[in-house]
Amino acid sequence: MTSKNGDHGSPQTSSTLKADPKPSAQRVPPPETPEAIQTRFRVIAAFWAVIIFLGFPIWWKTTSIYRAHLPIQEMADWADGKTCRPVFPLEIHVAAPTMQLPESQHLVRTTQHALDDLNEFAAHHLRLKLTNDTETSTAQGIDNTPITGSMMDDAPDTALTVRVVAQEGLATPRSELRADTTQLDIFYPPSQVPIPSSSNPPLSVFIAEELQRLYSEEKATIAYILSGGAAGRDSESISRRLRRSMKYADTYHLSFSLFTPGSAPSSWDIEAAVQEYLSPLLHAFGPISNFTIDTQVQLYATFSPMAPPPVYDETESAWTLKKEDLSAFINAAEWPLNPSIGNGPTLNFILYVPDPSQSPMVVKENRASSWIVPQWGGVFLLNPPLEQAGQSGSQTNPGHITQESLRPAFMTFSHQLLTLLGTPTTPASLPLRLQSLIRVRAATLLLSASSTMGSLARLTESLAAIPIPATVASSVSTTLAQLSSTCSHLREGRFGAALTSARIAETEAERSFFEKSMVGQVYFPDEHKVAVYLPLLGPIGVPLLVSLMKELKRLVAGWKARRRSTA
Amino acid sequence: MAVDRRKVAVFGAAFVLRLLLICLFPSLPDLLTGRVEVSTPVNSFKRLQEGLYLYTRNVSPYDGGVFHQAPLLLPLFSLLPDVNSNPIPTAIFYFLVDLVNAHALATISESGQSVQSRLHSAMRKHIRWDGTSVAAWFLFNPFTIATCLARSTSVFTTSGILLAVSNAVSGNTLNAMLALGLASYLSMYPALLFVPLALLCYDQRAQKSAQAPSSGLFILQHGAILSGSIAGLLGLSILITGNFWEFMSATYGFHLLVPDLTPNVGLWWYFFIEMFDSFREFFLGVFWLHLASYVGGLTARLRRQPLFIITSLLGVFAVFKPYPSISDASLYFALLPLYRHLFPLMRYTFFAISALLYSSLLGPAFYHLWIYAGSGNANFFYAITLVWSLGLSILLADSIFAALRDEWEQDHPERKGQEVKQV
Repeated sequence: MTSKNGDHGSPQTSSTLKADPKPSAQRVPPPETPEAIQTRFRVIAAFWAVIIFLGFPIWWKTTSIYRAHLPIQEMADWADGKTCRPVFPLEIHVAAPTMQLPESQHLVRTTQHALDDLNEFAAHHLRLKLTNDTETSTAQGIDNTPITGSMMDDAPDTALTVRVVAQEGLATPRSELRADTTQLDIFYPPSQVPIPSSSNPPLSVFIAEELQRLYSEEKATIAYILSGGAAGRDSESISRRLRRSMKYADTYHLSFSLFTPGSAPSSWDIEAAVQEYLSPLLHAFGPISNFTIDTQVQLYATFSPMAPPPVYDETESAWTLKKEDLSAFINAAEWPLNPSIGNGPTLNFILYVPDPSQSPMVVKENRASSWIVPQWGGVFLLNPPLEQAGQSGSQTNPGHITQESLRPAFMTFSHQLLTLLGTPTTPASLPLRLQSLIRVRAATLLLSASSTMGSLARLTESLAAIPIPATVASSVSTTLAQLSSTCSHLREGRFGAALTSARIAETEAERSFFEKSMVGQVYFPDEHKVAVYLPLLGPIGVPLLVSLMKELKRLVAGWKARRRSTA
Repeated sequence: MAVDRRKVAVFGAAFVLRLLLICLFPSLPDLLTGRVEVSTPVNSFKRLQEGLYLYTRNVSPYDGGVFHQAPLLLPLFSLLPDVNSNPIPTAIFYFLVDLVNAHALATISESGQSVQSRLHSAMRKHIRWDGTSVAAWFLFNPFTIATCLARSTSVFTTSGILLAVSNAVSGNTLNAMLALGLASYLSMYPALLFVPLALLCYDQRAQKSAQAPSSGLFILQHGAILSGSIAGLLGLSILITGNFWEFMSATYGFHLLVPDLTPNVGLWWYFFIEMFDSFREFFLGVFWLHLASYVGGLTARLRRQPLFIITSLLGVFAVFKPYPSISDASLYFALLPLYRHLFPLMRYTFFAISALLYSSLLGPAFYHLWIYAGSGNANFFYAITLVWSLGLSILLADSIFAALRDEWEQDHPERKGQEVKQV
């Protein structure tokens, strides 16, 4: 920069100033010839032509900040929750094969009334729909289309099927939830078939209470999320559960590690175990998140020197770890536990096989062999049966852990995984819990993407100087479109589709908010531009401007003189 | 045909000197090839070899992102034997190019265009060197020798420019435009010389024929010839590379956008390392316009001496080009002795020459301190390149001042030799 000051001006100053050297101080300089004046005019015009016809367009083109148009108001509305009030209408099918059609219709109607009376959270409500084998128009269905295979895409997800079956020898109705399907069986004594005249039959009340109980945790969770963590009924337990679970991510990385302080075991049937015990669960999680898996075996993995060693407990005849010391169990400094592989967060599952001299090892207070590390992973202490080694009689761990002996560990890991991913603890049926998780996640993502939109809108409003690339605008419009489709999917009860849209919305929202090229100029106030322009352009500009002014003065004077002479 | 024995002796001596240098110091060419003062990303022989390697193996030479020179150099160099096993033929080829350049320079000098043109006649015509001396200045200039030994491809651009000028002063306007087309094709910036070169051709034509041709038509005609020759060379390049946009962006795009900020003797690299990213494009525009803006001003002011415009512009390019090397300076120094008659009018020659010598000695030392010894930093070398540019600019400004003084004395012959005072 400094060099420019020194040498840029020489050619043109020499051409403008040295054109008319005075012979000496005493004598008057000879008058400039018209030719010389014209030449000087041409020189100045040549420089200014370059500046005006090339310089200014380049300046305009290269320093204008591209700000793509963003629908600020719409984004703010999303963040304020004005555009969409998420509702969760769960469709529950009622099948009553043992009842007459009018009876079952009456049952559904009265149960719905009972449900509506019980419900105190309007955004989450249950809708009953009668599905007998015979096609029936329902009282409160969203559409009257019977569910057929081809129409599945447009129809709401069926949250639960209630089968009402008459059973002899019962005094009161009895319910039974199947653990592996989304079916609730209600058995009632045939005497309790609701009579069409009764407005509040006991069977309806029973069914309504059962359903209410099934969905109470999910309802409380969603209420907690929608209210933004405000205190509510059992908000304490919900917030504890949410604190323990990971933040939602599109992809989680699962890392299974076998640690042992000695040389054995040195191999495990991990592939078969993952395939056998974990894959079905991960498959079921498919609509919610994706998973990648890696495994490792680490021998001679010692405890951290700071950690209190396990203590032998005579009464338990086992080595015990105190509950409060469990946090120091993982030797984070030396055990190679990857904080993150790829772009998703990592969940670590540690299978620890204690040294034969410290086997079996359990947790002191409750003899448990596993525990969960909130937002990080889980640990399982595996105490395999020891083997006698040679004549010395010393005991060793087996060299290989079979798939069968990994079974308890993986059952625990599966449970820990469910907890870490934020799955509700009730009801007992896994499909119902996953469905519930889908709704919870859809609500979370809807809110988080909306609030990201709001932050982006505020950011672009408050910083008028940052560029907004076209990619951000397209991400924002994708996000908004996906958000509104999430909202309409939710309203119509298609929670799987809603989650899919919400995932795209969240990804795009994050991408637009963290666009790198936007923040480059955040800390670059306008005053700094003076510092950028002046050192270089000042020295070039001053002689050019002065010569231009002189030349203009001369032109004006000449023009005036000519007017005077003609007048 | 009478052979000028002095000229033969000078040319022979220059050839033998170069041959001796590479025979006595076989590692010298490779050493010079690696020097940043001699080799820039756009003329480095090492990069040419990389492109050549890819080219002879049927890979696009621009794939590696290393090679940024014109594609027509590749078939030319693939004809020469491999330089690693047999460096002599390539070296001799470069020596011959140097001799051709010197010959063109001698032709320019002997035409007397520098002292006596159509609109201008210098006051001190008798103070001048003949063609052989000017050629000797060029051939024995250490910068020229270093460029030649480093096998920098700038020598071909230099030939293009010198041949264009020598053809123009001999009235061979078609060849002049073709040669300028070659130079522009190789390094792009010589295209800025079109206006003064066309004026030179025009003056020659006007001097020879009875009535002067129409100037606008003449310039249009020659502009068409120049564009035609460049287009023809680009067409040949497409035949070689196959991918037009790839080679355009790798060569001319590279010249224009200056993505490689390897240190060199110019002013751009340090500036663009320090520049805020968002202002990079703007200042690229400013620097290029700054370079180009001299063409109009100098042409208007020195209309009577077109050859001097070319000389001064070459000096401007040597300072303000994006990737200058000492070969650009050597070209300017080659043309400057044509204006031996202006030397008595120059006022700061001692200062300029001291600055140039100082920087050419300290430049390599400071570069070593920065890169190898680690006891200096980039500012050491940049300061020296500033001194170098300062020296060149002083020389340039002083010579322009002398030329203007000369013109003024021609207009006012009664005041010759009097003191001047700047107002």
